[in-house]
Amino acid sequence: MVVNLIKCTRCHACIVACRVEHFLPIGMTWPRLIAWEPEAGQGAEASLTTFPVRCNQCKEAPCVEVCPTGATIKRDDGIVYIDNVKCVGCRYCVVVCPYQNRTFLSKDKDTGYFPEYEKTRFEKAGKKIYPHTTGTTEKCNFCMERIDAGMSKGFKPGVDREASPACVNTCQARALTFGDLDDPNSEISRLIKEKNAFQLYPEYGTDPSIYYIDGKIGNAPSNLAPVETRTGIHIQHLSTIEDKASDILKKKAGR
Amino acid sequence: MQTRQWMVTHEWMVKPMQQKEWIERRGMLVWIAEVFTSLGAGLYLVSLFMNNWWGMVASWVIIMFLKVPIHILYFGQPLRFFRTLPPFSDAWKRSWFARGILFTVLFSTFSFVHMVIRNPYFDFAPYLGAAEAPLYWVFVVLAGIFALGTGVYSGFIMNKCKTVPFWNTGILPIVFLLAGIADGFGMIIGIGLAGGQVDIAFAETCSRVTLIVNAFIIGIYLISVNFASDVASLSVRQLVVGRFATIFWVGVIGLGIIAPLGISVSSIYSGIEASSMMLITAIICHTIGAFALKYCLLKAGIHQPILLKVRIT
Repeated sequence: MVVNLIKCTRCHACIVACRVEHFLPIGMTWPRLIAWEPEAGQGAEASLTTFPVRCNQCKEAPCVEVCPTGATIKRDDGIVYIDNVKCVGCRYCVVVCPYQNRTFLSKDKDTGYFPEYEKTRFEKAGKKIYPHTTGTTEKCNFCMERIDAGMSKGFKPGVDREASPACVNTCQARALTFGDLDDPNSEISRLIKEKNAFQLYPEYGTDPSIYYIDGKIGNAPSNLAPVETRTGIHIQHLSTIEDKASDILKKKAGR
Repeated sequence: MQTRQWMVTHEWMVKPMQQKEWIERRGMLVWIAEVFTSLGAGLYLVSLFMNNWWGMVASWVIIMFLKVPIHILYFGQPLRFFRTLPPFSDAWKRSWFARGILFTVLFSTFSFVHMVIRNPYFDFAPYLGAAEAPLYWVFVVLAGIFALGTGVYSGFIMNKCKTVPFWNTGILPIVFLLAGIADGFGMIIGIGLAGGQVDIAFAETCSRVTLIVNAFIIGIYLISVNFASDVASLSVRQLVVGRFATIFWVGVIGLGIIAPLGISVSSIYSGIEASSMMLITAIICHTIGAFALKYCLLKAGIHQPILLKVRIT
């Protein structure tokens, strides 16, 4: 996956999409948006920059190496996932992950959306469709169930929505690009090559599968969120395509 | 550098944050289990060295009835602990956690057989015949090897954590092992006082040596880690002059090393063997030191933040 730091408007849509896709408990968040003030400031003068992070699906994943039960598994396509039936909840992977992108699902993280009240219909559906086991560790799995289902129907990951992660599909600014890193002709490989993409902490030798482009992560003086990301002016507003859309809708209605 | 709490879901990403999984809330069980791991394995190795059956029994009890249950209780899914062992998992090939649990199980098994063969109450020699001596040595060697593995594996577990620079050093397993052996000598003196047929004077001499070596190794560890990275240096500062300085200086150095060493050395200069009361005090100080050392090591573990090149102020 490639994350375009300029395009990302920090709207939290990916986080919400993930929550909906996986029926995440209230205290659990798989992808995250971290915020940071590079320079201490007062009130409106305080600058804020944010970075979207999620499990890096490392090619040399430390979590896979240390898991004492083999519950953390790396698939042939590179996706690292947790088999919650095998996980004993030792939290070694939580401590060892250099990116701190694993969360132990304790009881206090799964109190229900409205503790003291009946579970919402969303929660009830989640218990049936995507049950979460307290006492085990969770993390982003690149929506592997969705990818598998889509690929079984002939769809291509990163190209067709049916075989792409929910966060990629929902990103309004198209800041997330998903695809096959091993395919040199894929869009993602092209972006990495052309935009000189970088990974988080490559010195750990984990070889993350998440790449960042068009931005920096760190406290370099120039590392402020670009103006357009703070204002969102680079997003094509729906009103600008209204005429075009209405033409298409009229044609569809006429058929 | 400031953070906005309403948006920052995980502060550890933007600033060095203390690891909490293995020391806070239920993580306290890891700390206690680690202490008993060191005490049990160290006492067994010392008992083997001094050929003391009661010491071996005590170490076996510590491992089986204190270390193992407390460790399993820490798991989020305790009833699944069997999944860490072969044939349910082959994770021991790569994970020090799985290896540690396997070492513990094998140590418990071999040491149990060894203790049964050489128990002082029932002589198996007539039944085993010529096989008694070879059997004894096979089980002694195997139990010793796996006791050593049990004593060091925690150090390797922590040492694998690149994200916690304070632990990410090869010297940590040695610190764990030596601390365990030093505590083992302390405990064997206690077993001697309780009538366990121990050469207390010899145990005291060994305790003196191991305490001095232990202090030296802890010093080397802290100095070397201090120069490893900014975050590791922060951990050392927290330990030596920061939040955990009291526990470190009073618990680890004062009670864990200086007090038992002082009692032991005083008996050399006075020419009189330390009294039982003094020895019991030394053993208590030793044990408090063991708890304090593991607490400090776990508590001072600080995660490297995700943002690159963060300057620590």
